[in-house]
This record gives sequence, C-alpha cells and structure tokens, in this order.
Amino acid sequence: MSKLEIFDPAMCCSTGVCGPSVDPDLTRVASVVYSLEKRGFDVTRFNLSNDPGEFVENKKVNQVLQEKGADALPVTILNGEIVKDSSYPSNEEFSDWLQVDAADLKDKPQTRVTIDIDKL
Amino acid sequence: MYESFNPKQVVQTPFLFFTGKGGVGKTSVACATAVSLADQGKKVLLVSTDPASNLQDVFKIELTSDPVEIPSVNNLFACNIDPEEAAKTYREKTVGPYRGKLPDSVVTQMEEQLSGACTVEIAAFDEFSHLLADDTIVKQYDHVLFDTAPTGHTLRLLQLPTAWSGFLQESTHGASCLGPLSGLGEKKDLYAQAVRSLSNGEKTTLILVSRPDVSSLEEANRASLELKDIGIQNQLLIINGLFQTQSPNDEVSTAFYERQQKALTKTPVELKQIKTLSVPYVSYSLTDMDSLRHLVSDKPFAEIEENSDDNEIIPLPGLNEIIDDFSAKNTRVIFTMGKGGVGKTTIASAIAVGLSEKGHKVHLTTTDPAAHLAYTFKDGALKDNLSISSINPKTEVEKYKQEVLSVAGKEQDEEGLAYLKEDLESPCTEEIALFKAFANMVEKSQDEIVVIDTAPTGHTLLLLDSTETYHKEISRSTGDVPDSVKKLLPRLRNPKETGVVIVTLAEATPVLEATRLQEDLKRAQIVPKWWLINQSLHATETKDPILAGRANTEKRWIKKVSDELAEKAAIIPWTGEEKIGYAKLKDYIRN
Repeated sequence: MSKLEIFDPAMCCSTGVCGPSVDPDLTRVASVVYSLEKRGFDVTRFNLSNDPGEFVENKKVNQVLQEKGADALPVTILNGEIVKDSSYPSNEEFSDWLQVDAADLKDKPQTRVTIDIDKL
Repeated sequence: MYESFNPKQVVQTPFLFFTGKGGVGKTSVACATAVSLADQGKKVLLVSTDPASNLQDVFKIELTSDPVEIPSVNNLFACNIDPEEAAKTYREKTVGPYRGKLPDSVVTQMEEQLSGACTVEIAAFDEFSHLLADDTIVKQYDHVLFDTAPTGHTLRLLQLPTAWSGFLQESTHGASCLGPLSGLGEKKDLYAQAVRSLSNGEKTTLILVSRPDVSSLEEANRASLELKDIGIQNQLLIINGLFQTQSPNDEVSTAFYERQQKALTKTPVELKQIKTLSVPYVSYSLTDMDSLRHLVSDKPFAEIEENSDDNEIIPLPGLNEIIDDFSAKNTRVIFTMGKGGVGKTTIASAIAVGLSEKGHKVHLTTTDPAAHLAYTFKDGALKDNLSISSINPKTEVEKYKQEVLSVAGKEQDEEGLAYLKEDLESPCTEEIALFKAFANMVEKSQDEIVVIDTAPTGHTLLLLDSTETYHKEISRSTGDVPDSVKKLLPRLRNPKETGVVIVTLAEATPVLEATRLQEDLKRAQIVPKWWLINQSLHATETKDPILAGRANTEKRWIKKVSDELAEKAAIIPWTGEEKIGYAKLKDYIRN
C-alpha cells in the first residue's frame, strides 16, 4: 500500500477563512484526502503550525525547505520521495500515484442527517 | 439613581471577573474591590492582566506571575499576567526550538501565524485556568479577582466538544485559534473545569464595568449577552466614573453632567435588567491605597485636595493643522484609527469637511454603526465636492461568511462545518471582511481624497500582503488576494499617498492601546503621521474642582503622546455636544 504525506504551510487559521479569501484548493485537497482515507490509504498531513517537528525530522522536507524556503510548501511525499512541492497535487496526480480512478476522489464526506421531531 | 458599589454588600462568590471595554477602569475597580475585601479580613488574590497597570506603584512591590503578598494590605495577594507577554512566551516556546533547524522564512511564517488576537486570548485563558482549576488556590483564598474576562469566542472554542476528539489531528480544518496551541489535548480537563467554574453562579460573578457613555454601555451589553449565552448568568453592572456634583456656573461641568445622564438613558434594554451600581467620577488618580479604599467605601468622595499650583498648559495645535498638513501635501488616503469610543468617526468626518472646504474633492467612508454619516451630516448640506458612503460591518461580515460557507462549507461534514463557523466568529474574520470592503471603496474612488474612519491592524495587513515573501505562501494557500487589496497595500505604505491619524484620549489605557496600534502598524511598515488627543479636559477652561483635577492628571499622558509617541500631535478640547452636520463639523476647523 502506498504511503502519502502532505506537509502544509502555516496558515493564519487552518480553515483559511481568516485569510484574504477562501481557497477552493484547500477544500478540494481535504475531500480527496478524506476519500483516500476511506479507501484505506495511508495518508497523513502535517501542518507547520501544529507539527513543526515533522518538518525538521523529515530529511527530504527539511532539505527542500533549506533550498527553497517557505515557498516550497506544501510538499507532497509518496513512499518517502518528494513528488511535488510548492503547490498541492491535482486530482489527476493523486489518481496516477495511487492508482485510483480520479472520479472516485470526488466523494463528499458523509453528513449526518438529524431529524427534529418537533418540526415533523 | 444607582446605589454606590460597595464590595462588602455585593460580593458573594469566590471568583470575580471584571470585564468591559478598554479604558473603563476595570483594573482600578478590581483593585479597589480587592483592597476592600481584604480589609474585611478576607484572604484575597488579585490577578491583574493590565500591562498599563500602575499596580506595582500602588502596592509598592514588584508583581510577577506568581502571587506575592502585598505588604501594605493584610490578606491581599496579587500577581500580574501580561497576556501579550504570555502569548510571546508561548510563541517562543513553540517556534524557538526550530530556529536554525528550519529556514528563516519558515520560522517567520510560523511566528506571524501566532501573532493574532486569538493567540493572545487563548494564552491569557491558559493562565487563568490554572488559577481557576487549581484546588490549592481555591482553598487558599476566599476570593480570587481577575481584572479581565475571556470572551465568548474563546469560551465557545473551548466548549466545542469536537475540539478534543482528535479532530484537530485528523482534519485539515482544525479551528484556527486552537490549532496553534499544540499540546492542548493534555489540558482538556483543566479547561473543562475552568469553564465549569466560570458558568457556576455560586462560584463566579461577572462584573461588567462601563463608563456612562454610549459606546462602553453597548460594549458591556454585548459582552453580557455573549457570556450569558455561554452560561455565565451571575452578572453585575458597575457604572464607573459617574459625575454627581456639578458646578452650576461652569459650562463644562454642566455639559459633562448632562452628557453622562443622556448616555445612561440610552442603556440597552437587556443591560437594564442587570443589577447596577455606581462608582463616582473622581478628580484624583487612583495611585494609592487610600484613594482606592475611598472609591468603594460607604461614602465615596470625589475630590482630594491636591496642590495644583502647576498651571502649565501644554501647547498643541488643533485639528485645523492636521487638515492643513494633508491639504498641503495632497495626501490621497487618510485613515483615522483608534479603539471604539475615542471619536474617530467624528474626526474623520471633520477632516473630510475641512478638506472639502479647501476645495479638494473628498470621499468619506465609515464603518461606525453608531454614527452613520447620514446622521453626522444630518442637515444634508453636503457640498458638491464631498461624497459619503458607509460600510456596515455586520452586512460585510455576513456577506463574507456566506461566501466562505458557500465555497468551503459544501465539502464539509457536520463537525467540519461547526469548526468553520466558529472560525468565522473570530476577530480576524471581521477585519478581513472590512478591509476587503474598504479596498473596493478606495478602488472605486478615483481622483478624490478618501477618508476612512477605521484601519486594519498590522496583523491583517501582513496577512493580506502578497508582496512579502513569506506571505506569498499564505496567499497562495488561502486563495487569491483580490486585486483591489493588492493595489491598496503599497499605497498604504507610501507616506506621500497615505496619512494615518491615531485618535486617543488623555488617559492611561487609551494611550497604551493606541501605542500598540502604532507598533502593530509599524510592523506592517505603516508609520502614523499624526496623533490626535480628543476630548481633552486639559484643553478646556473648566474651573470645576473635580474636572480641573482630572485635567491635571491628563497632562502626563498628553506629554507622553507629544514627546514620546507621536511624530506630530494635536489636541481637541472636551465638548458636551456631539458635532452633527456639516456646519457643526466646521467648528473643528476654526480652532
């Protein structure tokens, strides 16, 4: 099973809503990751603000950061090798690397349905 | 009329939190309460968070974050927590170990992230929780007094059940304000207990402190409702600085009295339901034990004989000089900046009127819902070369929230959505939403001077700044920065194009808050041009003994502003009437 790691940059808030505008890319990546996890893939994300240690310990990430600075983030690592830096992978890239049908990556997380008895 | 606040009769719970807008005198009231309780033989701990506090001078002892016994008052202990300092310590603890291990640009990115208002709030709450939840503290003291209270936003974040479910680790959408506090999970129980103590009416009293003025009453009401909503029901309102004995032959004195009374009639309805007590307006500064004791005694007095042979008047120019300066230099964008209640909207309006009188084409725009421009220019006598617009913060924030939820919300599950919504309640959201609206406004107004009655903080500017290297990352990862914003930032930094006027009052807290604003702006490479001291009693000719005493205490703050803080300083005398309408606003220019 392939192992995928994504090293995110630090953001004012991780939802990005405190930023200048909402990044659709962030939500896209979030749902792709969700789909992959649901399919049992080993996917981990590290946020610079929460897990700075990982950015030091991971030699590959550290190296690309030393070379390119913060611009290198986000960094994506597949089975220990950097496959992409400076931006998030596209859905096609995810599907190539992990041999998943790109269409399957568009699943939305399930929403619980609540029924308000008073309103029935 | 209100009964006088006397802690002996009122205080029943072990924990007391004082809350209110900056400058309403929370620390003084808390301090007087602490001394009064200790005098009754209760063992009291006073937790101060006010960095402007002169408590060290009052107590004549160095305060640290560990409680120390106050030698001059039996049973009184005090400690001082500086939330900014706590946040800095936290920031250093988080970022420090990575200096040298990660490149500078990466470290800088982490630092800026932890510089927001939320980090400061949470860091302060973290310090509180130790005291609230620590059994040895609770058993040791009869009363623990905090001179500030956490906001509803902080408390809601801490209550969100999902905050503890590991959601933070698993999701990319961790709540912003909690996200940076790693290791928070370990503190789950501590925080939960702190929140429980806070909302237990037998343990905690929330004391809302307000001045008898409209904006601080509104702020007290907002805090009251928000904290009630989160379960803090046991509340008390203190009107601090109630002027009770007017001198009939002194115009300023009469106007001062009437202005307060008028403001009190406008107390929000909900706030009227809360038990209300008053603390008198006094001529003296609260810098020693006796004055503090008198402030909350059975018969508080307003005056202390002070030798006032010091009749020195500090000469500062009026608003007209600011207007002349901007007019001569042809400044294109003018911000008036300052905390709520210092009068920045009126000043912005007066600057706009002044410039238009000088023949400039001016556009004035404001966010202040309390002083809509239509109201400020009530007589409708607008000149051809002056146009006005108003930005409603509520509408802008709502619009922004809808936009965010429609883009990001549809991909979320329930928990994610709850987080997203809570993030949207953060102070940053409002700033960003407003700044975008302002940028659009400035963009639209070509060939005219734009006067804006508020300004974003340095933190927001830095976040929005796509030209800074380390923010390229942020702007990329959080979507596109709108063009109007991109264009505005370099203009703001150019002193030839932009002038910032910091508006303040000649009192400790407003001056300190303004100092912070200035530092924050400098961080974003914007240097305020002018400081304007508004509503100064020192600049009036009042002979009323209480007001004249207060005018005297203003001097040290006026000096501090003109000698230390401001590039250029100006002053406006206290007036009883609000300047409403074009003609009245012109009064300011005639100084």
